[in-house]
Amino acid sequence: MRNLSLRRAGEKLAPYVLLAPFLFTLIIFFGYAFVRVVYFSFTNYDLFQQPQWVGLKNYVDIFRDMDFARAMKNSLTFMAVVTTAQTLFALLLALFLNQKVRGMKFFRAAYYMPSVASSVVVTLIFIWFFQRRGVLNFLISKFNEYRNVIVLFLFAAAVLQLLQVGWEKMRKRPVTLMEPAFLFLSLLVSFMLMFAGVRLGFIPTRDVAPADIIWFNTIKTWPSFLGPLSFSVPLGAIMMFNIWTTSPTFMLLYLAGLQDIPRELYEAAAMDGAERWHVFRYIIVPQLKPITFLVVTMGLIGTLQMFDQVAILGAQAPRQSIITLAYYIYTNIFPSSSSPRVGMASAAAIFLALLTFVIVAAQRKVLGSEGDGGHV
Amino acid sequence: MKRIGLVLVMMLLAVSAASAQQVRIGGHGGTDTVILEEMIELFIRPALEGTGITVQYEPIADDFQRYIVNALSAGTAPDLFYLDSFWAGSVMRSGTVEPLNAYLEKSTVLRGEDIVRSLLDAFTIDGQIYGIPKDFNTLAVFYNKDLFDYAGVEYPSNDDNWDTFYEKLAAVAAIDPDIYGLALPPEYARFGALAHAAGFTPFDENGATDLFDPAFVDAFRWYTEMGLEGVGVMPADISQGWGGGALASEQVAAALEGAWILGSLRDEAPNMQYGATLLPKHPQTGQRGNIIYTVAWGMNANSPHKDAAFRVLELLTSEEVQQWILERGLAIPSRVALADNPYFTQDNVEAQSNYTVFLGASDGNVLPFSFGVYGGDWMQPIDQALSAVLSKQVGWEEALREAQTRLDAVMQR
Amino acid sequence: MAGMYRLRARRWTNVAAIYGFLLLLSIVFMGPFVFAFLSSLKDNPTEWPPSLLVNQLKPSNWAAAFNLAKQGGGNGFTGGFGPHGEIYFEATYWTAQGQEPAPPEVVVARRVQGGAALALRVEHYAADYTEVRDVHQVDQEPHEGGLLTTYGFTLVNTSDLHFDTVPMDLTVPMRQQFVSGTLTPNRIERLGRAQSWDNVSSGLFPYVLANYARVFRENYSVSTGKKLFGLWIRNSFFLAATRVLTTLIFASMAGYVLARLKFWGKGAIFGLLLFSMMVPQQVTFISNYLVLRDGIFGLSRLFGVPTLLNTYGGLIISGLVGASSVFIMKQFFERLPASLEESARIDGASTYTVFFRIMLPLAKPPLGALTILTFQGVWNEFFWPLVVITSPQDKYPLTLGLLTLQRTYGAASFDWGPILAGTFISALPVLILFVVFQQYFVEGISFSGNKE
Repeated sequence: MRNLSLRRAGEKLAPYVLLAPFLFTLIIFFGYAFVRVVYFSFTNYDLFQQPQWVGLKNYVDIFRDMDFARAMKNSLTFMAVVTTAQTLFALLLALFLNQKVRGMKFFRAAYYMPSVASSVVVTLIFIWFFQRRGVLNFLISKFNEYRNVIVLFLFAAAVLQLLQVGWEKMRKRPVTLMEPAFLFLSLLVSFMLMFAGVRLGFIPTRDVAPADIIWFNTIKTWPSFLGPLSFSVPLGAIMMFNIWTTSPTFMLLYLAGLQDIPRELYEAAAMDGAERWHVFRYIIVPQLKPITFLVVTMGLIGTLQMFDQVAILGAQAPRQSIITLAYYIYTNIFPSSSSPRVGMASAAAIFLALLTFVIVAAQRKVLGSEGDGGHV
Repeated sequence: MKRIGLVLVMMLLAVSAASAQQVRIGGHGGTDTVILEEMIELFIRPALEGTGITVQYEPIADDFQRYIVNALSAGTAPDLFYLDSFWAGSVMRSGTVEPLNAYLEKSTVLRGEDIVRSLLDAFTIDGQIYGIPKDFNTLAVFYNKDLFDYAGVEYPSNDDNWDTFYEKLAAVAAIDPDIYGLALPPEYARFGALAHAAGFTPFDENGATDLFDPAFVDAFRWYTEMGLEGVGVMPADISQGWGGGALASEQVAAALEGAWILGSLRDEAPNMQYGATLLPKHPQTGQRGNIIYTVAWGMNANSPHKDAAFRVLELLTSEEVQQWILERGLAIPSRVALADNPYFTQDNVEAQSNYTVFLGASDGNVLPFSFGVYGGDWMQPIDQALSAVLSKQVGWEEALREAQTRLDAVMQR
Repeated sequence: MAGMYRLRARRWTNVAAIYGFLLLLSIVFMGPFVFAFLSSLKDNPTEWPPSLLVNQLKPSNWAAAFNLAKQGGGNGFTGGFGPHGEIYFEATYWTAQGQEPAPPEVVVARRVQGGAALALRVEHYAADYTEVRDVHQVDQEPHEGGLLTTYGFTLVNTSDLHFDTVPMDLTVPMRQQFVSGTLTPNRIERLGRAQSWDNVSSGLFPYVLANYARVFRENYSVSTGKKLFGLWIRNSFFLAATRVLTTLIFASMAGYVLARLKFWGKGAIFGLLLFSMMVPQQVTFISNYLVLRDGIFGLSRLFGVPTLLNTYGGLIISGLVGASSVFIMKQFFERLPASLEESARIDGASTYTVFFRIMLPLAKPPLGALTILTFQGVWNEFFWPLVVITSPQDKYPLTLGLLTLQRTYGAASFDWGPILAGTFISALPVLILFVVFQQYFVEGISFSGNKE
């Protein structure tokens, strides 16, 4: 009898026992931490003196702080540009890679490479890549040098393409303007023409000074027509390689989604004689909606937390050009040569958390209201 | 058998050490570890024989300031630790660093007057001394003799003022578009020495900073115009991280650096023929300027045995220890008595460079590298202004206006 | 007939077009890695213009590096300058008409790569025991309005010692141009007057992988004398293994409970879990940092540890199990049919038995994905270790180690060789893992993506 009641008590406790380790981390390192940061944000704690209640002073202070304003602007720009670009890029890549040709496995793996390596590895390689006398500027110099040739190349390819398509049309065969088979031939022939032209000296290359773009150590902003909305060049560089590293991950998600789209849908569309664009617009996009929702959510949360790249870049770029909210919090806790400002850091942290909620909720509203795209 | 015996002895020692007074010393990692351990072995342990005091060095590899702030706030800090004038401001005001005045008064071997005044000032707040400087550095002109020879120009010398110095550098820069006269890091940590020469001080009597002070503007424009004219160059623009790297790359003829450059020249440009001379004088004031970088020993206010710690501090800053460090070419002593030193008359370029750096501390308008409670935040707007002007992004007036706004924001916080 | 042929040709060109585009994209995604890898072999990865011609990959230099070490009495592959070894070296210079060619001044330099810290450990320098013998003119011929003169000389080890590195510098008068040498010099200094070699007896492998060797050799802890880079790799492996272990166990336990058991507080816990996945790490680190600093409310003092900062204990305890791992496991267990459990329950099996005997064995696929994801996550983790571990450097995981490399080599002198080399070494394990367990990576992503 006693044994039984003990057993029953054991059964009652079992969920908690199995949950215990997770509960421990969740409560101490998240629940308690969150509450404590909320508390700190109303105090003037500096690690040395006991925290004293200062009300909303920290919140007022961060909004007066120029660094915070810059961090906020940088974070929001970064979020908007990177999330949009990586989502589109991932979708395009996935559409393209969703084919059955031999060796596709290899290419998928190859494209996924940047996502596997750590942010430190990738950032270091990119700092090297973006040096003032680095590979990227070299490629840009080369591009400038051969600009005439490239324009001529595209022009020649277009002419060749039109000739071929025109010829086929004349013979009343059904071809589209961008017929891939012809395009391939046009580009190939055009390339060979250019190669021979440059080699034999018929086509002059331009003699230009090497590109001298300062990617990191600059406070310049770009693009200039956006005025105050433009972002700093170093941030732009970070955006570029961030898109490069994260798109492949999301591409994989889209690929999985594409493979889940029932075949019948495509077949029905083909029966109706739907054009490619229509298939994309009315079948693929709606079917992928749950994935898009996920990709955008993960993108928003991830980009708002951006820290590693800024920390690794460190003093190589002016602080104001690259500082993000996450980095702002960090530098207030570990400031260079003055006392920690835990209160201000906490206020900024709470602000970052709220911002994340609001933005995620907003995108839920926007993406969710458009038809019944999945039930997320 | 022998080994077991050794282990036993060590265990016994460990037990007795626990009962005795152990003074923990916290400092930088890297080469400092080797130096400190050798120093403790040679000087400190023998002197403490029989006192029951033992010494333990705890090297901190990275980000020492962050470590010490945490350790002091958590109560785990060592008894003695490095205090860098650059960040000491806020730490000394936190109440966790012991004022040393009472100890110095009692001491027979270490008194305030023994230490170079300007160094001690960097660790004094309202008459309270919080740290005993252990060594220091200042800036000097380090130049590449080959480049001056090639251009057929005289080497920079102690008689140069800004104008003659500029002419020499311009002549070297004319050799080749890829060769420049002076490395111009966009940092107050270098440029500041020139501002001081012109008569600028970071804080006026009200504690405010005016970047439109004519002295500051004068130095700012001289420095940045040198870059705009192609006579000088920012190290980053020639793929170098600092003046020393730029000098070692042989793309600049001169750099304003401290004695820390010697080690890296040894590594990176072992074949370079170089020399060192004092910074040029300002043509109007006729003064030189300089910045003093100094590190002191501070004491933990919560240390369980402060008297023992002070005893160790006396030994760490003793004349014989400082002489030993100097002779190894590692650092320049903070004791007044060591100024006339046979080491300085040695005929090799490193000793001569060290001597130049030593002289820099007492020639002209010399201020410590320390900006009160603001620390590095104070320099940042100025650094950014220098960088913006040197990379031709804005004019000097606009840059200074922006810097002043940012600086005011920092100082209000 | 012709139509068939056309159709086939068209299909082929179509496929070719697809492959062409795939290759182009490969350049975009792999190109920077490949270029960076080749540059990691160079003496100066930031040279301008950047080129893919790497001295270290020239067969002539391979042969020279092999032969020089062999002559010096060392192993041709691993190098060295053995007792009484002799190395014969040649260098060719060009002088303009009117300038008298002069033989180079040969110096075996007393220098150590990697800074003062390393120099403190060197007992014997090759410079002190090597004699330069018989500098003589080998050949002279007119060339492009001047003279090409070749000089030869021999380095002799006069001692019974074995040296790993023999750094050498040649110096000639101003305007005498260096053309070529037995081995391509590592750098040219003093406006072309000085040609400098890091090690003329390096042997084949140390020559080609010089930067890789530097990463291991030059980074060592002065206090313990241990080589750091190897330690960092080991630390990262250790941390990753521990985290994988705790995550697998605790995440499946928690996931199972949340998915299949009813108990008081379940809703609240799950809510908190979802909430925690939304809140950025930078929000909670402020408190977590202080919690570790004080040893989890002083609990760690019971074990004689005053603070959990700078300890692996701190890193491990704070990262026992992540919310997203629990989430993945919960998703998995929810999808299993209820009948599995019910029959065992009827037989009177306890919750523990059901979990460990029945449910856990079924969870192999998500656990596989979780292993890979967790390993990759820890291996690449940067922010939290940066906060928790500051010193000693012996305790760094690899990501912090890389940051140290960047600060040591990059901040001071833009010496990118070792930085890039270290980068590639650190990326290697994850790349291997990826190639071998490719499908798990994909699965892992779709697992974490399967929100209901």
